[in-house]
Amino acid sequence: MSVFTANFPKPCGRYWLQFFRNIACAVSLFGISASVALAVPSYARQTGADCASCHIGGFGPQLTPYGMKFKLGGYTDTDGKDGKIPLSAMLVANWTQTAKNVAEADKVPRYDTNNNAAVQEASLFLAGRMTENIGTFIQATYSGVERLSSLDQVDIRYARTMELFGQESTFGLSLNNNPTLTDPFNTLGQWRFPYTSSDFNAGYGPSPLVESLGGSVIGVNAYTFLNNGIYAELGLYDTLSASTLNKINAEDIGQFKGLGTYWRVAYFKDMKRDNFQVGLFGFNARVQPDRNDLGTANNYFDLGVDGTYQFLGNREHIFTLNASYAKEWQKLNYTYGNLAEADNLKNNINQFRLAGSYYYNQTWGATAGIFDTRGSTDRTLYSNSLSGRPTTTGYLLQADWTPWGKENSWGAPYANVRLGAQYTGYSRFMGGSSYLDGDGNQRRANDNNTTMLFLWMSL
Amino acid sequence: MKNYSILLAALLLYPAISQQSFAAGDAKKGANVFAEECGDCHSVTPGKNKKGPGLFGVIGRNAASVPDFSGYSDGIKQSGITWSMDKLDAYITQPRKIVPGGKMKYDGLDDAGARSDVIAYLSSLK
Repeated sequence: MSVFTANFPKPCGRYWLQFFRNIACAVSLFGISASVALAVPSYARQTGADCASCHIGGFGPQLTPYGMKFKLGGYTDTDGKDGKIPLSAMLVANWTQTAKNVAEADKVPRYDTNNNAAVQEASLFLAGRMTENIGTFIQATYSGVERLSSLDQVDIRYARTMELFGQESTFGLSLNNNPTLTDPFNTLGQWRFPYTSSDFNAGYGPSPLVESLGGSVIGVNAYTFLNNGIYAELGLYDTLSASTLNKINAEDIGQFKGLGTYWRVAYFKDMKRDNFQVGLFGFNARVQPDRNDLGTANNYFDLGVDGTYQFLGNREHIFTLNASYAKEWQKLNYTYGNLAEADNLKNNINQFRLAGSYYYNQTWGATAGIFDTRGSTDRTLYSNSLSGRPTTTGYLLQADWTPWGKENSWGAPYANVRLGAQYTGYSRFMGGSSYLDGDGNQRRANDNNTTMLFLWMSL
Repeated sequence: MKNYSILLAALLLYPAISQQSFAAGDAKKGANVFAEECGDCHSVTPGKNKKGPGLFGVIGRNAASVPDFSGYSDGIKQSGITWSMDKLDAYITQPRKIVPGGKMKYDGLDDAGARSDVIAYLSSLK
């Protein structure tokens, strides 16, 4: 069992108003991404299962039904043997080239305007069974790009499985720091393709708030998985204090007014040979962007639909398809009303994602994905867009090789590695085929086309 | 007298006929069935346990007898089962009916042909 990734929107600079991150990140490009990849072979040691039992392609984060159930069971399944140490480590290194050098104002501090190699992440995990019903997934990460350590992902679970009306059902609670971290499917922000992306990539456009909160909030979620078919989850979130965020090096998005509410329902059908899922999700919160100017909040209401299909067969040829569509309605009471930094009181974002993958012998993989983000025209908010729109569209191609991770692999379950190449192609960026870069010059969307070679290891 | 003889012969031959029906399963297909239905939780590598006990040499073995596997339920420990092909077939069909209180999270395999194949596969492992 291994790796996971998020594709958070790119932070737009340390002094940028963080509350705008979800809608304005694409304004300032080539920022540094929040933590991305995760890898936890300690789960494999705990269960005796190989990485490929839980993960498509023998490496995270795409979960098989077995992996989903392990997660929903609170990370507590075991092979019954004592003495397992719930610790893992992970390293992600990459080399990134963009089609054209980025503007000086957009380049990552301490790095060049192109052709950058970096140890992007080095992580430690406390991940595994604590008691019969309590398990953890906690990640601390050192970013070699930002040169900072942070408390990255936290998911502490209590779960019980019992018979209810003659059907096996799981009930659980999660204390976590990211609304979509808890999800067992690979369609929402935290766990969606691309599972690793370069900090030097231009990103995928503005994202709904539900995908932009990782590390900045704390939430308690209750969930159930009824009869291995119906998944339902409800979570309440609040922002962490500024001093806490400072201690754990997490980003400050401002302060919630009241609590943020996350909900999720899905229908899942596992036919063993293949499986599918369809679902709905939503999030709403009121964000006061400036902690020194509380009272008026921007309102965000996110609603989405998603679906997954996996053909697993005998695991020799595996196909997966993941899709999601999310719409965010924004009411910018503070940004528009108090700051006049938007043309409209009400804006929206529409985000579509699609990814299909094929894995041969759980070793050789190819994935193709589409990203398509659109939204309201707002020339003040999207000031670097020539059209005033945030439209960002393109595609992703990835090929990867995962030599180990199978039951009888060399070094299992300690040796885990994935080598890959990823290409991001842009057809539109911030509203069209051209936009204004950080230096104020016109730049073509496809100047941001990115090639990344990566090495991803976990222990 | 003739009828009794036929009945007696049938009773004597039943176990052999029954075992042959599993032996007639396709072990190659059974390997695929095992990968699809069983392989996440069980291994056929000698001495290897996962969430469930290893299944190498399971035919003819007493239930709950893998020495270094400690995850057995009380239900399976007290079942007194010896894993004949028939018993394994019945168990794979409806696990909770054969071992009430068992831990195995598996609803069962309805397809008799697939069961026959996977049992043939397990039998073929030497």
